[in-house]
Amino acid sequence: MKINCRKIVTCFFVLVLIFPLLENAEPKKALISFTAYHTPSEVSGIVKDIAAANSSFAKMHTLAATPGKNEMVILELGPEVGQTKKKLPAVLVAANMHGNVPISTEAALSLIQQIVDQADVRKDKTWYIIPIGNPDAAWNYFKKPLKTDTRNSRPYNDDKDDRIDEDGTDDLDGNGIITTMRVKSPNGQWMPVEGEPRLMKRADWIKGEKGVYKLYTEGIDNDEDGEYNEDGPGGVNIGINFPHLFHFFTATGGTWAGSEAETYNLFKFVFQHPEIAMTISFGDDNFCLNPPRSGRRETGDYSKIKIPKFIASEFGYDADKTYTMEEIMEKAKEMVPPDFELTESMVAGFLGLGAAANPQPEDLKFYTEISDQYKEFLKKNKMEQKRLDPAEDKDGSFELWSYYQLGVPSFALDFWTPPKPEEKKEEGGFTPDKLEAMSNDDFIALGEEKIDAFLKSSGAPGGIKAKMIIEMVKSGQMTTKKMAEMMRQMPKPKSSEGADQNEKAILQFSDKELQGKGFVDWKTFKHPTLGEVEIGGFAPFLNNTPPASLLDSLLKSQTPWVFELAKKLPCMKIAKTEVKNLESGIYRVKVWVENTGYLPYPTAMGERNQQIPPVVITLKGEGIKIIDGKPRSFISKLRGHDAGMVQWLIHTAKPVQLHIDVSTPSAWSDTKTISIEPGPGGAK
Amino acid sequence: MKKVILFLSILFTVVFVPVSGQAVNLYEQHEVTVPLRFDYYYTYEMINDALKKLHAAYPQLTQLDLVGKSEEGRDIYCMTVNNPKTGNKLDKPGIYVDANIHGNEIQGSEVALYLLDYLLDNYGKIKEITRLVDSKCFYVIPCVNVDGRYHFMKEGNYSSSARTILAPRDDDNDGLVDEDTFDDLDGDGNICQMRKKDPFGQFKTDADDPRVLVRIKPGEKGEWAMLGMEGIDNDGDGRVNEDEPGYLDGNRNWGYDWQPPYVQLGAGNYPLSAVGLKSMADYIGKLPNICMVWAFHNYGGMILRGPSTKVQGEYPRSDIEVYDYLGKQAERITPGYRYIISWKDLYTTYGDFSEWMVMTHGAYSFVGELFATSSETFKTYEESKKAKPEADFDKEDDYDAEAMFSMYNEKDREQLKFNDHLAQGEMFVNWKPYKHPTYGDIEIGGWIKYSSRISHPFMLKDLVHRNASAIIFSAKHTPEASMDIFDKQKVGENLYRIRVRLSNTKAMPSMSYQAQKNKLYPKDILKVSGPGIKVIAGGELTDIHRDRVLYKEYKPDVQFLAVPGFGKIEYQFLVSGTGSIQIEYSSRHAGRIVKNIQL
Repeated sequence: MKINCRKIVTCFFVLVLIFPLLENAEPKKALISFTAYHTPSEVSGIVKDIAAANSSFAKMHTLAATPGKNEMVILELGPEVGQTKKKLPAVLVAANMHGNVPISTEAALSLIQQIVDQADVRKDKTWYIIPIGNPDAAWNYFKKPLKTDTRNSRPYNDDKDDRIDEDGTDDLDGNGIITTMRVKSPNGQWMPVEGEPRLMKRADWIKGEKGVYKLYTEGIDNDEDGEYNEDGPGGVNIGINFPHLFHFFTATGGTWAGSEAETYNLFKFVFQHPEIAMTISFGDDNFCLNPPRSGRRETGDYSKIKIPKFIASEFGYDADKTYTMEEIMEKAKEMVPPDFELTESMVAGFLGLGAAANPQPEDLKFYTEISDQYKEFLKKNKMEQKRLDPAEDKDGSFELWSYYQLGVPSFALDFWTPPKPEEKKEEGGFTPDKLEAMSNDDFIALGEEKIDAFLKSSGAPGGIKAKMIIEMVKSGQMTTKKMAEMMRQMPKPKSSEGADQNEKAILQFSDKELQGKGFVDWKTFKHPTLGEVEIGGFAPFLNNTPPASLLDSLLKSQTPWVFELAKKLPCMKIAKTEVKNLESGIYRVKVWVENTGYLPYPTAMGERNQQIPPVVITLKGEGIKIIDGKPRSFISKLRGHDAGMVQWLIHTAKPVQLHIDVSTPSAWSDTKTISIEPGPGGAK
Repeated sequence: MKKVILFLSILFTVVFVPVSGQAVNLYEQHEVTVPLRFDYYYTYEMINDALKKLHAAYPQLTQLDLVGKSEEGRDIYCMTVNNPKTGNKLDKPGIYVDANIHGNEIQGSEVALYLLDYLLDNYGKIKEITRLVDSKCFYVIPCVNVDGRYHFMKEGNYSSSARTILAPRDDDNDGLVDEDTFDDLDGDGNICQMRKKDPFGQFKTDADDPRVLVRIKPGEKGEWAMLGMEGIDNDGDGRVNEDEPGYLDGNRNWGYDWQPPYVQLGAGNYPLSAVGLKSMADYIGKLPNICMVWAFHNYGGMILRGPSTKVQGEYPRSDIEVYDYLGKQAERITPGYRYIISWKDLYTTYGDFSEWMVMTHGAYSFVGELFATSSETFKTYEESKKAKPEADFDKEDDYDAEAMFSMYNEKDREQLKFNDHLAQGEMFVNWKPYKHPTYGDIEIGGWIKYSSRISHPFMLKDLVHRNASAIIFSAKHTPEASMDIFDKQKVGENLYRIRVRLSNTKAMPSMSYQAQKNKLYPKDILKVSGPGIKVIAGGELTDIHRDRVLYKEYKPDVQFLAVPGFGKIEYQFLVSGTGSIQIEYSSRHAGRIVKNIQL
């Protein structure tokens, strides 16, 4: 038998070529499906699997064991996995810190999948991703009865009685969800909304309205102390346990900022990783749609600043007078070198004006610009439909702590809220007067569709249709004048005025997309202590959790924005070098360093809180002597696309290679080597 | 000492707290024996040795716990003094004492050790002490900043250095950490000042005392240029000693009202970032019976109460009354010490330990700033009668540039004379030459580190005994509740009325008003129960003459209350049934009382 050498050789070569490609080029695709929400154990499982299958660029760290015996994990993705000190910058993404926004965890998983799949986005930086910030609370979405609760499982005596966690909600009607109870009471504050009786509003006595109901969450008074469901299981909300604007003595905030292992260990991790250059929170607030809000009272009043005596005398201010920030800035500008950029942040910091409580004006500029870009991005991805506003940022939250106390650009993203209710337009202003002024023919000319709409909006009984009316008008049985008369006498259509706009939107969404399952109709129930009550109301999670069927498209069209943000990271590059030969072996060396990224380094808040180290430019060369300048020189601030210059005067007798190194922990660095040949030739 | 002298020393190179000197025998390592001696200072090792020896000598009354380890791996210990035969430690009012959270503020540890030694040695000998130990529980952590104390005593320092917790920090924002600290150039254990002969210098030798430097008058020929504290430019950046180890002020790192470092110098990167302090917070968190706290620092001779910040607002009036009662008495026990308010009479601090204990634990807390420099006087009787009160350099209104910028003022001259006659001159290192790598021929001299903020050992015994006595007085005034069932009568068919009084003969209420206001934890509980009875109604008896009762709507058999200091609270119950009734009172701070009666 003749062996077909050619075939064998071809096969061999093909195999040799393909084999390496098969071996290591393809990362194990994450293959996460988004057809259902993932439980916290499923999430940990996915993260563990990804880390195990991609050990060359993926590593899982366990940040904390929670009181409920869950794991808070963080997934590291990047080329420097396994190195304690990183040279490349990093982005930290923290999802679902409050534990009651399941879609934010799905978004984190989606992001993880994309990073695993796209080697490009992880080749020059590290990603740290926390898929669930509050694992104990996140379980609530998967437990029966369904309820939202942001507390971790730390036992906590909310009502300060003689027992702990003894009175939580109860699923009295056995439908698997905790809703609302309404009880008729002489001093009830709530009444049904006329036009939409499923909703309720507070009675307004000015309008002569009388309240009917008192509201409770579904449950009994387990500890018989007259209060209902006031001491449920848990605990602390990790999402508000951070040090910036932390509130003491609240129901779910915790005893101090960092009281929980989840938060404390996150602090520790962040400060052990100075390469973190940006943080993004996935939750229910959004700094990209609208810049982080201002308007909080500053502890230092910028219109009445008093300058401490020893500073006043040194710098020529009057210690007995108060100054505005503008006045101080004007005078201070005279005292600094002409090209020195003096900012309000610097002055505030120097004078010890207390903690900043509002975003720095300079930072708001880039937040506003990025917000415009984000809206464009959403439009491109067909996500520009009007929806209910995302929640406001909360005091004590991760994203505020990151902006104010870490001093890095901090972003927050949400991924879904119910669509804004369609506004019913009044059909062509059919007031009785207008109708009367119309001739019968004009009326008929409106057409069936418009007349049907008019009948509906004016509250005509369902049986009467446009066709009938047209016939009646044609036959003379009905005139516009008569119709106007009837309209005037009819009771006014019930308006849904007074109902909460958000509730209206959620109800509409429930009716349209959830077959009405989002709202449980009020049903009577015999309550052991409250007597006859009605149980019903909204199911939980409707304000921020879409049906799982929408997940895939929502995430695909929104999560890639994260990569747009990452593209804006500061990046240090040596833009230009100049060596001037001043003869006799003396050279002046100048180096221009440019921040080729969009974002400033550091932010104005980073300047103010002094947590970000400067860019360090080092000059080395064998045998050189630095006559003027420091071997380690600094540039402490570079705006986006801005450059700074440092210079030295050196002396060298023989040819030398000058090594210039520009680096800082949280931005890309650069190096350059310049050769110097002493003699009239100068330097290359 | 909470003074921000460190901040000033960074601003100006002329510093007025130099320390250094030849090591004196009194300050070195000694063999520790029980009963403890108080004519020397204890090193870190000696403190832990003393605790172990006390525990071995009094095993029944003491418990020794390793609370945690510091940044450099040293041991932080807590000794509990409690008589288990009279009850569980957690069922008694707890008095907590610690010291030396600032590494250089060492003498509080001696106060803590003295308290332990005094209580244990005199148990069974002095009636009052026996009663105190039997009825209370003492928790004592003599040394919090174990690393700081170790380095302060072992290495070159001056009286205000080695204050920090040893967590690395880039203080001068140059991308390097802790790279340029003091250098004990002459190796004498003290960081002194450097001066160089210079006709253009701003100082000259004093005519009366060659150790003293005075500023020259305008136009006068100079003699000396001051070069700052002993050291060299380790990182070649043109500045000397600008990035010492740390800086993390242990007393700014606690979780109540913590503010980041740009607002509060030395705060650390996040609350309780210091590992030793975190272990302490966890340990103390398991001791809910602590109701009285003393934390010792130096210097100045003060007994400080909070609030620590102005924005927080004043304490409740009734709590201030407790502080006033204890604080004023403490002033009498330690003459020369002033009882003052922290933020107002000293300065604002965020994240300090005292406020943490008050606000998150519901305790009453004092900071003891030990050692009044006025104790180092050198005056005749007549001179002392005419003496002006000391200007307080920390208060802005008393800002006195002349006093701040002069090298040696009247107070320093007096201290030098005190030094000469009471310490034979050993507290000051006389100027002597040294060859400096950058500055050439210089002279080094100044106060030793064990001066200025620390008393000479001959005065130590007086200091520790007095301060321990102040602690003991406050310990005696932790709440002591007694229950008196003072009325029981039939008021109807199968209906009885029972009246119960809880009274407290001590100054401290059973729960601070601040803790009540913030609903920090459950109040004291008064429970009425019995197998054959039913509590129909119950509530606080607010007016006994008019039989006015604030009946509780639900669960009248469980009442929540606090017993005021030097006061009482009364309850009335309407009960039906027969048989025995148990009335139980339980309190986090005032223990537990159970009484039984028959219907």
